[in-house]
Amino acid sequence: MSTQLWALAAAGAVVLVAAGLELWRSSHARGRALGLTAPTAAGDTEPYILYFTGDSCSVCRTHQEPALAKLVGVRIDKVDAIAERELADRFHVYTLPTTVVMSGEGKSLQVNYGYAPATKLERQLSEARRGELRNAATA
Amino acid sequence: MATSPRGVVDHSALKVNQTGIVAAVLVAFIGSAFFRPALVLIPLLSVVLLLGTFAPNLALFKQIYFKVLKPRGIVKPRLVQDRPEPHNFAQGMGGVVLAIASLFLVPLPVVGLALSLLVAVLAFINVAFGYCLGCQIYYQLGRAGLIKATR
Repeated sequence: MSTQLWALAAAGAVVLVAAGLELWRSSHARGRALGLTAPTAAGDTEPYILYFTGDSCSVCRTHQEPALAKLVGVRIDKVDAIAERELADRFHVYTLPTTVVMSGEGKSLQVNYGYAPATKLERQLSEARRGELRNAATA
Repeated sequence: MATSPRGVVDHSALKVNQTGIVAAVLVAFIGSAFFRPALVLIPLLSVVLLLGTFAPNLALFKQIYFKVLKPRGIVKPRLVQDRPEPHNFAQGMGGVVLAIASLFLVPLPVVGLALSLLVAVLAFINVAFGYCLGCQIYYQLGRAGLIKATR
């Protein structure tokens, strides 16, 4: 029985270390990706979402795309992370899906590595809109 | 095979496969505490996963789904626009890790069981949350140009 307990402890330790490394990696990547710019459509002033996906990403189809479909009236720029590698690298996309909430001026405000539910994206978009209203009022 | 029409993957087959992996590892893990030969399930599972990776017709759990569970309506199909390659890659990765675990089972059973548990944990995360580590590694390898992927 002690063999099983030691094995359980070893596997648990590996899982904890891996989870810690993943948290560190995502916060590190997020810190470097915030404030970056991407091309935006002329005359578009509403926040939008850059959605990094790829053919190999199942979660994109089973979870992320249905969540994005719930965001009514929001522009979503779908980016193939393999085909547009330069853009993916610029936003430090190390996992798929990755969603980036962009301001109307094309500046990244929030970066979500991994699946982001619709409620989280809605909250981030409304924060982005409030921020832009504040900026417009102080300009 | 988990593919039906071209570009469509039956995710129920994948879930049954992952559930089978979790169940087999748990039976081996708990069973070996009382009956040591139960550990033989680990190398057997490794063979099943590796065979299923290279010959989908021999993928035991998927075949149980397609031949038994699906026709009898026990598990309903869930067709998703997807590619089977990342899932096969993930399954192969699980098979390789279990093969390595099998090598350790006699000289260092703690290491062998811990590696097997990690495979079960990842399969469980895939069933419960849809996160597939093998698919992420497949994406990274494709990105690095090491495999022809994702286009």
